[in-house]
Amino acid sequence: MNRRFDFAVWAQKNPWSWSAIAVLLVWLILSVVTSRFSIASLSGIVLSASFLTVIGIGQMLVVATGRGNIDLSIPSVLTLNAYLALIVIHGDDGNLALGLGLALVLALAIGAVNAALVVLLRIPAIIATLATGYVLATATLMANRAIPGFMVSPTLKYVASSRLGGLPVMTIVALVVVAIAAYVLRYTAYGRKLSAVGQSRDAARLTGIHCGRIVTSAFLISSVLAACTGLLLGAYINGAFLEMGQAYLLQSIAAVVLGGTPIFGGAATALGTFFASILLILIVSTMQVMGLPPGTQDMVQGVVVILVLALAGRKAGLVRLPKVRRAKAETG
Amino acid sequence: MAMTQQLTVAGPDLERPAEGVAAANVLTMRGIIKRFGTTLANAGIDLEVRAGSVVGLVGGNGAGKSTLMRVLCGGTTPDSGQIVVGGADIDNGHYGPSEAQRHGIRMVHQELSLCGNLSVAENFYLEAPDGTGLAPNWREAHRRRARAALDAVFPASGIDIDAKVGHLTIGERQMVEIARAAANADLRIIVLDEPTSSLDQERSHQLREFIRAKSAGGTAFIFISHKLQEVIDIATDIVVMRNGGVVWHGEACNASIARLVQLMGGSVDALKAHGKQSSAGQRQVVARISGPFTARLGHDIEIGKGEIVGLAGLEGSGQKELLHALFDPKRAGGGIDRQGTAAFIAGDRAKEGVFSLWSVLDTMSIGRIARRAPLAFVSDRVEQAAARQPAAQLRLDEGRFQSSILELSGGNQQKALVARALLADSPILLLDDPTRGVDIATKQDFYRLCDDIAGAGKALVWLSTEDAELLTADRVLVFSGGRIVEELRGKEITEEAIVAASFSETAQAAAREAGDGVSGSSRLARLAMTSAPFVGLALVLGIMMGVNPKVASVFGLDLLLMPALSLVLVAMAQMFVIGGSEIDLGAGAFAGLVSVLSATLLYDNPPVGLAAILAAVIVYALLGALIQARRIPAIVVTLGASFIWIGIGYSLQPTPGGTSPEWLSALVGWSIEGLPTSVILIGLVGAAAALIDWMPLGVVLRGFGNNPAAMARSGWGTVRHAFIRYGLAALFAAAAGLSLTAINTASDINSGNSYTMLSVAAVVMGGSSLIGGYISPAGVVAGAVTLSLIGALLGVLGVSSDFNAATQGLVLIALLTMRSLMADRRDAQ
Repeated sequence: MNRRFDFAVWAQKNPWSWSAIAVLLVWLILSVVTSRFSIASLSGIVLSASFLTVIGIGQMLVVATGRGNIDLSIPSVLTLNAYLALIVIHGDDGNLALGLGLALVLALAIGAVNAALVVLLRIPAIIATLATGYVLATATLMANRAIPGFMVSPTLKYVASSRLGGLPVMTIVALVVVAIAAYVLRYTAYGRKLSAVGQSRDAARLTGIHCGRIVTSAFLISSVLAACTGLLLGAYINGAFLEMGQAYLLQSIAAVVLGGTPIFGGAATALGTFFASILLILIVSTMQVMGLPPGTQDMVQGVVVILVLALAGRKAGLVRLPKVRRAKAETG
Repeated sequence: MAMTQQLTVAGPDLERPAEGVAAANVLTMRGIIKRFGTTLANAGIDLEVRAGSVVGLVGGNGAGKSTLMRVLCGGTTPDSGQIVVGGADIDNGHYGPSEAQRHGIRMVHQELSLCGNLSVAENFYLEAPDGTGLAPNWREAHRRRARAALDAVFPASGIDIDAKVGHLTIGERQMVEIARAAANADLRIIVLDEPTSSLDQERSHQLREFIRAKSAGGTAFIFISHKLQEVIDIATDIVVMRNGGVVWHGEACNASIARLVQLMGGSVDALKAHGKQSSAGQRQVVARISGPFTARLGHDIEIGKGEIVGLAGLEGSGQKELLHALFDPKRAGGGIDRQGTAAFIAGDRAKEGVFSLWSVLDTMSIGRIARRAPLAFVSDRVEQAAARQPAAQLRLDEGRFQSSILELSGGNQQKALVARALLADSPILLLDDPTRGVDIATKQDFYRLCDDIAGAGKALVWLSTEDAELLTADRVLVFSGGRIVEELRGKEITEEAIVAASFSETAQAAAREAGDGVSGSSRLARLAMTSAPFVGLALVLGIMMGVNPKVASVFGLDLLLMPALSLVLVAMAQMFVIGGSEIDLGAGAFAGLVSVLSATLLYDNPPVGLAAILAAVIVYALLGALIQARRIPAIVVTLGASFIWIGIGYSLQPTPGGTSPEWLSALVGWSIEGLPTSVILIGLVGAAAALIDWMPLGVVLRGFGNNPAAMARSGWGTVRHAFIRYGLAALFAAAAGLSLTAINTASDINSGNSYTMLSVAAVVMGGSSLIGGYISPAGVVAGAVTLSLIGALLGVLGVSSDFNAATQGLVLIALLTMRSLMADRRDAQ
C-alpha cells in the first residue's frame, strides 16, 4: 500500500512514466501474442517515432505557453522544407550548408510570422498558424513544380536512415533533442519562465518575465524543429510529396498530450513526448502488422486521443483539488 | 460545518414569540456570523427591514456589507444566524440564489451580469424566459417588457432596447441592470449595490423617484452607496457598518454626512498599537510620479528608500493604474520615473500571484530567476539556500518548501509572494491589496514585516482597500476619478481624512462617463467590419462578371455557385461551434462521412442509412457534451474525432464511388425559370441558420458564448446546451455531406476534408468573433461563397490555381489583422 502510494507521488512528478509504461505494456503483450515482435522490430518503430519526437518537442513547447496555443503550420513547414532540400541541395553535399542555412532562415521567418500574429496582433494561435499553413501550402505547390528530381543529400540520407552500433542515427538525433529539451526545461531560467508563462500570463508578467519573448521563442523553435524533420524525412523517403506532413498534424498534438504535457500549458515533459511518440507509432504499426484496414487504423488513433483526453481531464481535476491532503497540511 | 449550523440555528424556538412583530418586517436577519479563516466578516449582525422601507447601508471598504448581502441573496452560507423573509424561516443549509429569488429577493450587483453580445430585450428574456418560444413574435413580448421596465424606472432614457448591451455606455448598462431586476413580479426586497456609481445626476434622481414610488407599493429596498448625500436623501432608515458589525441604526432624518463619515471611520487602535519606526536620515529617491496622476495635486511625488506609501480611495479610482504604471513605466507611457527594478505582490493571488502547478519553493524562486538570461543554470539546491533567509524572516516553514503552493493558507501564500519579491532584490515593492482574504493575526504579522522590510531600506507602495491598514504608512495618496487628490503625511493620516478625500465624487462620475462614450468613428469602423464580407463578395463577383460576362447569366451563376453550397453548410456548422468560443476541426471530415453513408447505406437500404446518419449526428452531439462536461479542449477532441469519421468512411468505402439516391440528386437538380438554383439553396441555408439564431435557442446559445457564468447563474444547463450546440452543428455538417453526394452524384470520404479549415476562415471572414457569442449567418454565407469563388476568380484572372490556398490564407490574415488593430483602438479609449 505504502509503496503504491509512493509510486503515485513519483508518477505525478514524472508524468512521462505513464507513456513509458504504456509502451512497455503494449510491446510486451505484442511480443507474447504474436511471435513477430522483437527488439529488432522495436528498433524500426523507434526510428519512425524519432521523426515524430523531434516535431513533437516543438509542438510541446508551443502548447506549454498556454492559452490553447498550438502550431498547426508544422505539417506545411515540414513538407516545404523537404522540397527545399530537393531543390537547393539537389543530392550534392556541396550544397548542404546552403540548404541548411536556407531552411533555417525559412523556418525562423515562418516562426516569426506565427509569433507576430499571436503576440502582437493577439490572433488565436490556432487561426494564425492555420492561415500561415495556407500560404505555405501554395509555396509547396510551387516547389512541387520546381523540383529537378528526387536526389537526396548523402549526409542527410545517412542521418535519416543509417545505424550506428545498431541504433538508428536518427534516434540518436531525437534523443539529443529530447535531452536538450529536458535539460532546458528542468535546469534553466528559460524552462522556468516558459512554465510560468503557461500557467498564468498575468502572474508571470508581474514577476518581470517578458511573456511575448517566451511565446515567440516557442514558435521559432517549433518551426525550426519541423523544418529539420522535413529535411531528414525527405532524405529518409528519398524525395517529397505534397501530403507528407499531413499525418503529423494530429500525431504531433497526440504525442504531446499522451506524453503528459497538459494541453492547457504551464508544464512540459520532453521524455513523455518521446515515449508517447513511440507509443503512437507502436499502435499504428501494430495495426499494420495485424492487417487492420487503414480506416480502422484511423479510427483507433482518434479514439485513443479522445479517451486519453477525457481521462486526463478527470486526472487533472483530482490533482488540482487535493482536498483531503490540503486540509491535513493546513491543520498539521 | 453543517453541524454547527444545525446547532446554532436551533435557536428559532426562542424567537417564536416575536413572530407577531416580525410580520411587519419583510426581512429579519438575526445574529448573522460569517468567518473567513479567522476574519470575522460578519460578527453577529441583526438587520430588520420593514415592508416599503428603504434602508441605506453604508460603511467603509471591508466593513462587511457585501458579505451580509451575499448571505441575504444566497451567495454565501453564514456560519450561524437566522434569516426570516416574509414571515418564513429560511433553512440556511438549503438556501441558494434561486431560493432567494423565489422568496422575492433580487440584487443588482456592482459588477454587471448582463450578456454584452445580446440586445437589451434579449437580456430581459434570459432573466425571465417563458413559453412563447415558437411564436413568430416571441421577441415582441420581451421587447415590450423591456421597454415598459426601462420607462418605469428611467423615463425617456433613450436606450434602444434592440441595441446590443455591449454597445451601451456603462451608465446605460447599469440602468438596464436595475430595470431588469425591478421588472420582476412579486418582489419583496431589491438590493442595489452602488446603483448610481455610473449614473449622472438626472438618472440618479429618476432612480430615487422610482424607489420612492415602488416602496410606497410595499417593496423594500436596501440601498448601498458611497454617495452619502443620496443615501440620506432616499433612505428611510440608515444602517452604518464597521469591522463586521452594525455601529449605528437609525432614521435617515437623524443622520448627516459628517455624522455618517465619523461613524464609518473610527479607531483602529489595535493596528496603530505596533507603531512604526519612521526612517530618518538622508532620503534617496527611487521613484518619481508626475504627469496625469498628479495633475490635480499640482506637484510631483517622490518615493524614497525606506518609505511606506499607501494608495487609498474608492475602488477603481486609479490606484491600481498607478501601481501597474510603477511596475512597468514603459507601458504606462510617461509620468513615471523609476530607479532600478520593482517587485509586485498581488492580492488577487489566484489570478496574479501563484502558479498553481508549482511548489512553494518554485513560486518563491521565480523572483530570482525571472530576470536571468534564458540559459542560466537553475538548481533547486541553490534556490533553496537563497530562499532560506527571507523565508525565516517571514516565518515561513522551510519544511513546506516542497508542498504545492495551493496547499498553503492564504496568509502563507502571501508570505511566499513577499519572499519572492525579496528574492528579486528590487528596491521598490509594489503591494496590491496584499492582505485580501488574510486573517487578522497574519495581517498583524504582515504589517510588522512590512515595517522591517521598509526599515531595511526598501520602498513600499501599498494599495489597500481597507483604509484602516494605511494608518501605519508614512504617506497616503488618496485617489478619486483617476487622479491623486490628496497627499496625507504622518499625523494627517486618519480614516476620516482618507474617507473625506475619497469622496470627491463629481469628477469621478464625469470621468467614467466620458471614458465610455461610443465615438462616431468607431461606429463607422464597426459598420465597415460588418459590411466587409458582402463588399468582398460583390467585388469578387464584379471582377468575374467584368472579365467574363457569361458569369452574370442564370446558368453561369448556378454553375459557379453550386460547389459553394457544401462549404456554406459546413461553415454554418462551424459558426454555431465558434459561437460557443470553440473550434471544430472535424466538421469537414464529418460531412465526408455522411456523404459516404448517403451514397452507400442510404442508397442500398434507406432505413439503415437513415439510422446510421442519425446515430452519427447523436455521437457528434455527445462529443460536444463530453467536451463541456470534462472541460477538455474542443480542438483536440474534434481533431481526434475527424480521424474516427474518416476511418469509418474509409472502411465503408475504400475508394470513391457509390451512388447518390435519386431523391437526393433531385433536391439540387430542380430549377425555376430565371433563377439560379444554387443561389436559392444557399439563401435557404442562410435563412435556416438565421432563423435558429433568431429563435430563443439561438439567443441562449449566444448568451453562453459570451458569459457562461451568468447563464449558469440564471439556471441554464451548460452541458445540455453544449449537446444542443454540437447537435446543430452536426445537422448542418450532415446536410453538407448530403449536398456533396447530390452534387457529385457519388461519394469520396476525402471530399469534405478541405472544408474544415475553409469553414473556420469563412466564419471569421463573415464577422463572427472567435471569442464567442457574436455570430452573423448572412456574413458567414458571404464569406463562404467568397472563399469558394477565389479559385474561380484566380482562374479568370489567369493566375495559377496554386495560389488558391495562399490567397485564402492572406485574406484571412488581413481581415484578422484589421479587426485586431481596431479592437486595440477600442481598448485604448
